[in-house]
Amino acid sequence: MRARFTEIFVTSFTWVSGLLFLSAAFTVIGFLLVKGIPALSVSLLFGETAPVDVFLLRRQVLTGLFPAIAGTCLLVILAVGMATPVGLAAGIYLAEYGRGSLKNFFSLFYDILAGVPSIVIGLFGFSIAIILHRYVNDIYPCLLISALALALLVLPYLIRTTQFAMESIPSKIRLTAPALGATKLQNIVYVLFPRSLPGISSGIILAIGRCAEDTAVIMLTGVVASAGIPGSLLSAYEALPFYIYYISSQYRDAAELQTGYGAAVILLVICACLFLVAFYLKNRLIERMFYSR
Amino acid sequence: MKEIISSNIKIKTVNLSFNYGRLSVLKDISVEFPECSISAIVGPSGKGKSTFLMIFNRLWETIPGARMEGEAFIRLKNKWINIYDRSVSLPDLRRSVGTVFQTPNPLPMSIFKNISFPLKLSGVKEKQIVDKKVESALKQAFLWEEVKDRLNEDARSLSGGQQQRLCIARSLILDPEILLLDEPTSFLDAESGRIIEDLLLSIKERCTILLISHYMDQIRRIADQVETFE
Repeated sequence: MRARFTEIFVTSFTWVSGLLFLSAAFTVIGFLLVKGIPALSVSLLFGETAPVDVFLLRRQVLTGLFPAIAGTCLLVILAVGMATPVGLAAGIYLAEYGRGSLKNFFSLFYDILAGVPSIVIGLFGFSIAIILHRYVNDIYPCLLISALALALLVLPYLIRTTQFAMESIPSKIRLTAPALGATKLQNIVYVLFPRSLPGISSGIILAIGRCAEDTAVIMLTGVVASAGIPGSLLSAYEALPFYIYYISSQYRDAAELQTGYGAAVILLVICACLFLVAFYLKNRLIERMFYSR
Repeated sequence: MKEIISSNIKIKTVNLSFNYGRLSVLKDISVEFPECSISAIVGPSGKGKSTFLMIFNRLWETIPGARMEGEAFIRLKNKWINIYDRSVSLPDLRRSVGTVFQTPNPLPMSIFKNISFPLKLSGVKEKQIVDKKVESALKQAFLWEEVKDRLNEDARSLSGGQQQRLCIARSLILDPEILLLDEPTSFLDAESGRIIEDLLLSIKERCTILLISHYMDQIRRIADQVETFE
């Protein structure tokens, strides 16, 4: 009787927890959509500038969100682009080559890095910018420094997801290629890495989300309220999460606050698009590696 | 140790012992297996039969705590080699000594890519050669007629028996001199098992086969020599 009660209790508790999470997510997204969608308009993106002129880079957008969108996209692409090769390589090292105490040491180090608060990573990026500025006069906090700091922030996730994805491959598959005469590297390239792609891509998707939403790091390393579309890697830039933070803390009227909701909706859409791109690339890669003749 | 190795011996072990940590699984085993024959290895579970097979492809070396003593020789291209000699390259050894596991292990690729995979690993690129070898390996494994029109399909869509023949074909494509099979029919129905038995009988002229089996009737049907581990 008691065992049966526990059974029912645990089952319903897991169900309720699942539903609770789902409803929380729907509430937040629904709230944002209701508040944000009315704010969406061409002028929210481009201000008083004609969109055609913006795309041809003839005129700067002064009041719209377009520079922030461009800044966020560039930031995500740069940061994830820098972190991914390093993260995958380090993950492969941990899963396939690292042994004994050296492996434990690296694992501990990555775990510590994963636990560092993003504001501290931001401070680190800021210090790097200051140190570099002493030697090169042109370097201030900028897009490149932000991207580097964000890459550092997401690196531990990428390393760990790669490592776990590769380590969880069953030994039946792990031994297949060596039994057919594969070298260790061939086994990794042709079997183990492709097999881990689904796990690895979920790590990359998490990293994309983290880079797109992070405010603490970029606040200290180069984001500003008004900079226009960044002209180079060494210029200051705008970003959506910073805009949302800035507007929500110092809005002057309801209409301005509304643009903050609009920006949040745009940020969600950008994240969704980046996820879809990552998902599509993963499927194409698996298709090419395994099935094309 | 016998001083003279007779001419038709293909595989030979001398005072072979094997431990997993403190657990001793093989003790002081000296056996010989003749070439172009099917040798069955029988005995109760846990007596080191699978470990014994792994001596010859050296796949046990990635298992932590595993340790081997003694020597193992095989005759490749009519030359005796000590397979634990430093000069032996593992990929080369495993191309000459094919392995088929208990559960079929097709890679998540098309049938064609599975069969041609060992060629890719050894650097054979010419499409004509690859196509020809794939066809010949599939024919040797009695699988060609069943899959010739669906070579681009996922290999995992095949039935269990077909998957196991696919794995045998994949091992045969490199023309190995020795084929190790670890209970290859234990997950298959009787009919599929019989096809694999016929297939083994048809390739034993080219290939020395070591086969672990639990089925006495299977051993009676196809084995030329029986080695019992107990």
